[in-house]
Amino acid sequence: MSDATAIPQHEVIIIGAGPAALTAAIYTTREDIETLLFERGVVGGLAAVTDKIDNYPGFPDGVAGLTLADDLRKQAERFGAVIELGEVTAIHDEGALKRLETTSGDMHAKAVLIATGSDYKKIGAPGEAEYYARGVHYCATCDGAFYRDKRLVVIGGGNSAVQEAIFLTRFATHIDLLVRSTIKASEVLQQELQKFVDEGKVTVHLATTTDEIVGKEKFVTSVKATKDGVPTEFTVDGVFVFVGLEPNSQFLKPTPVRLDEIGFVITDQHLQTTMSGVFAVGDIRSGATMQIASAAGEGATGALKLREYLEGHLHPTQN
Amino acid sequence: MVKNITIFTTNTCGYCQMVKKYLGAKGMTYEEVNLDEHPHRQAEALQLSGALTVPVTVVTKHDESQEVIVGYNLARLAPAVA
Repeated sequence: MSDATAIPQHEVIIIGAGPAALTAAIYTTREDIETLLFERGVVGGLAAVTDKIDNYPGFPDGVAGLTLADDLRKQAERFGAVIELGEVTAIHDEGALKRLETTSGDMHAKAVLIATGSDYKKIGAPGEAEYYARGVHYCATCDGAFYRDKRLVVIGGGNSAVQEAIFLTRFATHIDLLVRSTIKASEVLQQELQKFVDEGKVTVHLATTTDEIVGKEKFVTSVKATKDGVPTEFTVDGVFVFVGLEPNSQFLKPTPVRLDEIGFVITDQHLQTTMSGVFAVGDIRSGATMQIASAAGEGATGALKLREYLEGHLHPTQN
Repeated sequence: MVKNITIFTTNTCGYCQMVKKYLGAKGMTYEEVNLDEHPHRQAEALQLSGALTVPVTVVTKHDESQEVIVGYNLARLAPAVA
């Protein structure tokens, strides 16, 4: 047990500051519920490192991820949300209060919202970790500029892979897109990609698995892959990986907050986790659709459920 | 004691914004080298960091020693500029 009087206390602590978290903060602070957010990475989450977002409503011409993230932050801060740059490392249930271990010391909250989102998954191929940031990358908007007039491989076939491959065409002379099965990106993105395929700037390789990332003198030189069962090798200067998402839930593993088999947080119909007073929204939630618009919607719902809980109208979770 | 800080950035890099936001919140000034505007300085960033990525933050102390921080890494950035 901790000494409750010595620990700073907040009404609500939101863990994360992506679109779900910032939307929740807009709702809680507008209800005059004092709210502190903790962000260990980028305010705006993965949205902030996405070149362009075309499927978030209200932006007929799309919106730069960085712009959307910054506008969400400003909107939340306008109503009094405070964003602390730091990390929550553990949550303890102390009944009416939750104690959070953070990089700024222990803190109490009457209610907690987990919105830590996801990060890009690794492929686990030999060479991937060894050449990280020296030819292997997970952020096109950060590192693409280093590949002017170079050849690239992009791995993945979902929305992120196709969107970022299109972004990287502004730098690279040619991109080989390695897709394990078939392209799962939206029809609109596929049509946009086709323009670059027609120009000869992008070559799509379906049914292609990545076997090894090969380097020489500290930097990547090629990618070994298997295409239709036949070994092949792509000579490249860099590799960008977008093969799905993995949950940022490591810090929850020793807690009573139940996770699914992959590590996403399980919630009930009120978005409450198995720890009473602790809710989860956005990409971290089991069953989430991994869409920014959905995350924002869940953030709003989560905030309203937090308010019900704080007012004593939401019963402890039964799941 | 910090003598000066240089950050290598690009226009679209969210992590670069975070480094600038952190230093701004601490009231610290810095020189920004935008590699989209000055691509000829990429080699300098690479030589300092050994990595093809931004942000690269170079903290020079009064004794002329340098600390180079690759990425947005608060665990290293915070003590380097303290």
